[in-house]
Amino acid sequence: MYMFKYVLKRFGLMLMSFFVIMTMCFVLIKMLPIVVDVAIGKDAEILKMQIEARGYNDPILEQYFRYIYRIVFEGDWGIGINMPEFRGKPVWDTFVTMLPPTVLINVYSSLFAVPLGILLGIYAALRKNKWQDHVVSTLVMVLISVPGYVIAFLLQYFLCFKWKIFPLTMKEGYDYFTWDMFKSMMPAVLAMSFGSIAGYARFTRAELTEILTSEYLLLARTKGLTRRQSITRHALRNAMVPIFPSIIAEFISVLSGSLIIEQIFSIPGVGRLYLTAINSQDYDFFMMLSAFYTFIGLAAGIVVDISYGFIDPRIRMGAR
Amino acid sequence: MKKFRLIALAIVCILSMACFFACDKDNSSIEESAPQSSIDETPAHVCEFGDWQVVTAATCAAEGTKQRVCIAEGCDKGVDGAPKVETDAIEKLPHTWDNEKHQQVTASTCAVKGEAMRTCTVCGYEDKIALDLLPHTWNHEELIHDEAYGTTTCTFAGKKTRTCTVCEKEEAEFEALLPHNLVDGVCSLCGLDATKSYTYKTYTAVSPSNWNELTYRDNNDTQIMSYLGSPFFEADFDFGGKEAKEENIVPGGFTVKYSFAKALEDITSQYVGKYGIEEGDTSLVWKITIREDGKWQNGDPIVAEDFVYTMKEQLNPLFRNYRADSYYAGTVNLFGAREYVYQGHTVVQSARYKHEHWDEAAMADSSIYFDLDSAGSGIIQWLIGNGYGSYVDNNGGIWLLEALGYLPSSYTRPLQGKTYAEIMADENLTALFNAVVGWWKTLPDEELDFFCYNYTYPAYAWAAEDGTPNVGIWAASKYEIVLCLTKGIELLDADGNLTYHCFYEFSSLPLVHKATYEANKVAPATEGGLWTSTYNSSLESTMSWGPYKLTAFQAGKYYSLEKNTNWYGYTANLYPGQYQTTRIECETITSYETAFLKFLSGELTGIGIDVAKAPTYKHSERAYFTPDDYVDSIQLQSDRVALEDRQEEGINKLLLIYKDFRKALSLSINRTEYTSTCTTSSLPGFGIFNSMHYHDVANGGVYRNTDVAKQVICNVYGVDVDEYFDLDEAYAAVTGYDLAQAKELLTKAYNEALANEDIKATDKVVLTYGASVDNETVRRRYEYLKKSFETLAVGTPLEGRLTCDFDASFGSKWADDFRDGAYDICQGGWSGAAWDPGYFLMAYVSPDYMYSTAWATDQHETEITVHGVKVEEGKYVVTNNAADSFTATMPIYGDIADEGYNTNWYQLLNNEFRDGVLNNEFRLEMIGGIEQEILGVYYTVPVSYNFGASLISYQVDYITYEYNTFNAYGGIQYMTYHYSDADWAAYVKANGLDYTV
Repeated sequence: MYMFKYVLKRFGLMLMSFFVIMTMCFVLIKMLPIVVDVAIGKDAEILKMQIEARGYNDPILEQYFRYIYRIVFEGDWGIGINMPEFRGKPVWDTFVTMLPPTVLINVYSSLFAVPLGILLGIYAALRKNKWQDHVVSTLVMVLISVPGYVIAFLLQYFLCFKWKIFPLTMKEGYDYFTWDMFKSMMPAVLAMSFGSIAGYARFTRAELTEILTSEYLLLARTKGLTRRQSITRHALRNAMVPIFPSIIAEFISVLSGSLIIEQIFSIPGVGRLYLTAINSQDYDFFMMLSAFYTFIGLAAGIVVDISYGFIDPRIRMGAR
Repeated sequence: MKKFRLIALAIVCILSMACFFACDKDNSSIEESAPQSSIDETPAHVCEFGDWQVVTAATCAAEGTKQRVCIAEGCDKGVDGAPKVETDAIEKLPHTWDNEKHQQVTASTCAVKGEAMRTCTVCGYEDKIALDLLPHTWNHEELIHDEAYGTTTCTFAGKKTRTCTVCEKEEAEFEALLPHNLVDGVCSLCGLDATKSYTYKTYTAVSPSNWNELTYRDNNDTQIMSYLGSPFFEADFDFGGKEAKEENIVPGGFTVKYSFAKALEDITSQYVGKYGIEEGDTSLVWKITIREDGKWQNGDPIVAEDFVYTMKEQLNPLFRNYRADSYYAGTVNLFGAREYVYQGHTVVQSARYKHEHWDEAAMADSSIYFDLDSAGSGIIQWLIGNGYGSYVDNNGGIWLLEALGYLPSSYTRPLQGKTYAEIMADENLTALFNAVVGWWKTLPDEELDFFCYNYTYPAYAWAAEDGTPNVGIWAASKYEIVLCLTKGIELLDADGNLTYHCFYEFSSLPLVHKATYEANKVAPATEGGLWTSTYNSSLESTMSWGPYKLTAFQAGKYYSLEKNTNWYGYTANLYPGQYQTTRIECETITSYETAFLKFLSGELTGIGIDVAKAPTYKHSERAYFTPDDYVDSIQLQSDRVALEDRQEEGINKLLLIYKDFRKALSLSINRTEYTSTCTTSSLPGFGIFNSMHYHDVANGGVYRNTDVAKQVICNVYGVDVDEYFDLDEAYAAVTGYDLAQAKELLTKAYNEALANEDIKATDKVVLTYGASVDNETVRRRYEYLKKSFETLAVGTPLEGRLTCDFDASFGSKWADDFRDGAYDICQGGWSGAAWDPGYFLMAYVSPDYMYSTAWATDQHETEITVHGVKVEEGKYVVTNNAADSFTATMPIYGDIADEGYNTNWYQLLNNEFRDGVLNNEFRLEMIGGIEQEILGVYYTVPVSYNFGASLISYQVDYITYEYNTFNAYGGIQYMTYHYSDADWAAYVKANGLDYTV
C-alpha cells in the first residue's frame, strides 16, 4: 500500500513538473524574436503574412491555449516550419517514422553491450590482479578514453571499406527486420557498444571486487557455501543493486539516439532532431520533442527509483 | 514536512504562471505611464500656408514649379528666419500631336519590323513605335522531310523543314526515332542492350522535403524538382550547327532553344489601353504556344488551362505561398499578381504613403497613429541607418531608444497608439509630442516619419464579371498561354530569335497536377489560419512532367528517380542520343568522410574535394574545377555602439571604426597563401564580382575583364597604373598584400584612436571571429586570419596586443547576429544575380541586406561620370552616344519611395539607366563607381574567388570539362556511361579504384 501511494504521488508530481516545464519551454521559445530570413529580391511581406496567418503574432497565452487544445482534442502536434528536411510535415508523424532506426540500433547495442560488459566485469573481478584482469582493465581504459566517433570511423574504415564485411551506410527503406538491414546496422551497433561494454565492465568489476572482500561474503563461505554459490547468490545480487538501474536508464536513453554515430553511418534517426529544431527555431518540433523527452526523463526517474525495491527487498520507497 | 512541500510546490506553480503572464507580449499597462515633468511645454509653431503660386509654367517638355508661403504670424521657419516656403512640381502638359494615330514611316517585312511615328507640334518630340512583323511566306504549307539531312532510324533523327521565300528563314522539326527492334532485350538494328541500367548515384547532406514549385524553399528542394518539370525554353551548347559532340562545342557560346514551348509571340500591341499598356509599348504581353504532346507521368494531358490553374494556386491569398512573389517582385511580374496575393492583408504603412505633406487638419481626422513598434517606422529606419542597428530587434521595440539614452520611456510610451487628434486634445501629450518632434525634426515634413496607419488591401477578383482576366495570365486556346507583364522582358531579339532572357528569367511557369494538388490541400487548424499543401512532398503526392519521375522517397535518407517514359522529350525524340542515365539515386549522408569512402568504393558518381584531401586528389585525372559566382569575403563590424558595448577592461574593439585599421587588416592578408592554405582550388579575390558576373550576357561580356573593373581594383589596392606598361599589366600585379603599408596604416589608426581616447595605451585589441559552426574548415580560416593580423602588429605600437578569438555559437543566425553587432568579423558573401551585377550591388549597399549595417550608404556620396547620357533641362536623356556624358555627385544608394529616381546612383543604374535602356558599356561606369566605394570603406574585404574542385567516377563522363557558364558541363542530359551498373560493379570488384593518379 505504501508503495502504491508512493507511486501515485510520484506520478502526480511528475505530471505537475511536466506541465511547468512545458509551459516554460513554450514561453521561452516564443519569446525569442521571429527571424524573417529574406533573400535578395524576396518579398519579406509574404513571409510576414505567413507568420501572421500561423498566429505567431498573437499573445503567447492565446497561442499556448490553442496549442494545448489542438494536442488534447485533435492529437495535432503541428507541422515543421523551418527545418529544411521536414518543412510542411507533421512533426509527430516525422518523429514516429524516424524513431525505429534509432531504437533498433540502440537496443541491439544494449543487448550486445550489457551482457558482454557485465561478464567481462565479473571475469576481471574474479581474476583480480591476474593477467586476465589487467587485459580487461587495459581494454576498458582504451575504449573509455577513445572518443566514440573515432572508434566509429575506425570500424567503418576497416570493416566496411577495407574488408567489405558490412556496407558503409545503413540500408535505405523501412524493412527493418531483414538480414540486409540488420547487417547494415551492425557497424553502428558495434560503434555504440564498445563504450557501453567498457562502462559496464568497469562498473561491475569495481562493485563485485568490493563485495567479494566484504565480511558477509566471508561469513557465507564459512557457513559452508561454495565459492560459486556465494558469488551467484550473494555477491552478484548485491553488486547488481547499483548496476541494474543504470541498465534501465540505458534502455530508456535508446529513444534519444546518437548524433555523431547516426551521421557517420547515415542512419535516418532522431539523434539530430532536437538540436536542429532548437537551432532552426522550429516551434512545433521543439515543443513536441521537449514534451516527449521530458516525459521520458521524468518517467525514467520513477521507474529507476521503483526498480531499487525489486532488486533489493530491503529498499522500500515511501515507507515511514 | 508534507505540508511544507505542498506549499513549496504551490509557490513554484504560482511563480511559473506569474512568469508566464509577465512574459506576454501585450504590455498594455505600460502605455499609461505619466510623462516626465521636465518636458518643454511651449507649443510649437504650426505653419499655415496660402495658395500655390506658379513660378514656372509647365510645358509638354518640362515640368513647372509652384510655391506657397506660410501666412502664420511670426513664422520664421524659412531660410534666414523668413516665413517658410514650400516648393512643388507641376506635372507636364500633354503633347499636341500632329496626327492622332502614328503614321507609318517604314514598312515591316517578315524579317524586319517597320516603324511608325507622330510628332508633337509644340516641342517637336517624336513618338516612335515598332510595327509587327509580317508573316513568313513559306515554300511549303507544312514541314516536309529533308532528304539531304538523312533518313530517320532508331538512333538517328531526321528532320522536317520549310523555308521562307522572302527572308530565307528555315523552320525545322526533328522527326521521331523509329522504335528499336528488340530481340531478347537487344536491338537487332543498332545493338542497344535495353536490359542494362545506368544509374547516377549522388548524395546530399540535407534531404529535400518539399519539391512543390509553389512553395519550395532552397536548393535542397530543387534537387528533386529539377527532374520533375520541363522548360519552355532552354540553354544549350553552341555546337556550330554540327552534331552534339565535345569537339563541336564553341567555347563560351550558347544557344537558346524551344523545349515545351513551340512558339513565342509579342502581342503587346493588341492590348493597348488595357492593363496599363500604352501605345508603343513592347514585350509586355506574350503569347506562348505549348506542345500538344505534353503529358504527366500517368498519361494525363497538359493544356494551357493547367498553367492558368497553377498560377491561380500559386497566388492564392489563402496559402501565402513562399514562391508567390516570383510573379510580382522578381523579373516576371504578372499584371495584378501582387494585388491578388495581398488582398485582405493588413500592413502598417508609413504616413508618407498617405500624405504628401505634414497637414495637421488631415492628420487629426485620419486613422494615423504613433507607432514606434512598427519595423516600417521612420525612427527604426533612422536607427539602422545611423549605426544603432544593434538596438533594433525584429519588432522594433521601444526599449532600444531607451538604451540609447535619447528617449526615456516616459516620453514615448504615452504617445504609443495615439492618433494625432488624441495627442492634440491632451495638454501633456501635446507637450510631449512637441518635445519629441522638436528634438527630432531636421527636414521638412519629417513628422510624417512618426506616424503609421493600418492599410488593408482590398479584394481583388481573378477575373471581372464579364470574364476579362484581372491577373496577367490566361489561356487563349487549348495550347496557347497569354502572359501580361508589368515590366517588359526582351524574350525575342529584333530578328525574332530567342534571347538569353528566355532561359535566365523565363525558362518555365509552375505547373501542378490539378487532381493531385487538390487532394493534398490541408485546411488550417483554426479559422482564418494558413492553408498549406503536401503536394510534391512524398512519393504518393508527387507527379512529374519532366524527364524523370520519383520512384522512392524516405525522408532524411534516400530517394530515387527513373525515366518518365511519357515525357515529350523522349516520345518526340527531342534529345537524340542524350539522357543515357536510366536511374538516379541519392542518399542523405551528413558525414563527408563517409561519402568520400563511398565514392572510393564506386558507390557514388562524383564528389567534391575537401581542402584536407586536396594534396592527394587535386591532381587526379578525374578532377575538374568549377567556378562559382560566390566571392568569399571577411566582413568587419561597422557598428560603433555594438563595439563599445562588447569592450571590457583592457580589451579594445573600437579600433575597427577606423578605416585605416580596416585597410591595414585587408592588406595584411596574403590572399595567394590564404587560398592555397584554406581552400582546395579558389583564386585570390579582390573585388565583389568575379569571372562569373556578366554585365553583357548576350555578347559574353564579363564585368571583371573590363577596363573599368580592372581600374577599380588597381585604385582600391593602391596600384599605380602609370608605373606599368598598361592597365592589364597593372591589374595582373595586384596581390592585395602589402605588409609594410599595412603596418603604417595600423600605426596611423592606432595613434589617431589614442588621440581620440578610443583606445588606451595598455589596451589589447581582440577581434572576435564569429561562425555558425566549429569545424576544421572554419578553424583553418580563422587560424590563418589570426596569424595574419598578429603578424601585422609586429613592429607597430600594437605588437603583441592585436589578436583574435573564436566564437562558433551563432548557428544559423550568424548573419543576423553579425548585423546586430554581436561579433567583429564574419566570413561570408553573396551569390546569385550573376548576370545582373547592377542589381547584385544591392547586397552591399541596401540596409536590408548589407553586413555593414552602420554604413549609411544613402549619405555616402561619390562622383561618377556616365557616358551615353546627356542632361537636358535638369533631366537625364539617354542617347547611348559616347560623346554625351554627365558628371554628378550623389549618394550611392537610396530608397525610390523617399528619394525619387534621380538622386542616387543605385536607383539610376537599375531604373532610368537599366539594362536595355543604357548600353552596358556605359552602365559599367556606374557599377565600377559603386564597387569602388564599397571596397574603399573596407567593411567588406574580399579574400577569394570561389572555385569548387570535384572528382568524377571512371564509370561516366561529362560531354566537356571546359566549364560553360550557360550549360555547365552538360549535366545528366549529356552524361555518357562507360560501364553499365552491372559491369561497373564487376569492374570495381576485380580492379579496385584509384583516384590519386
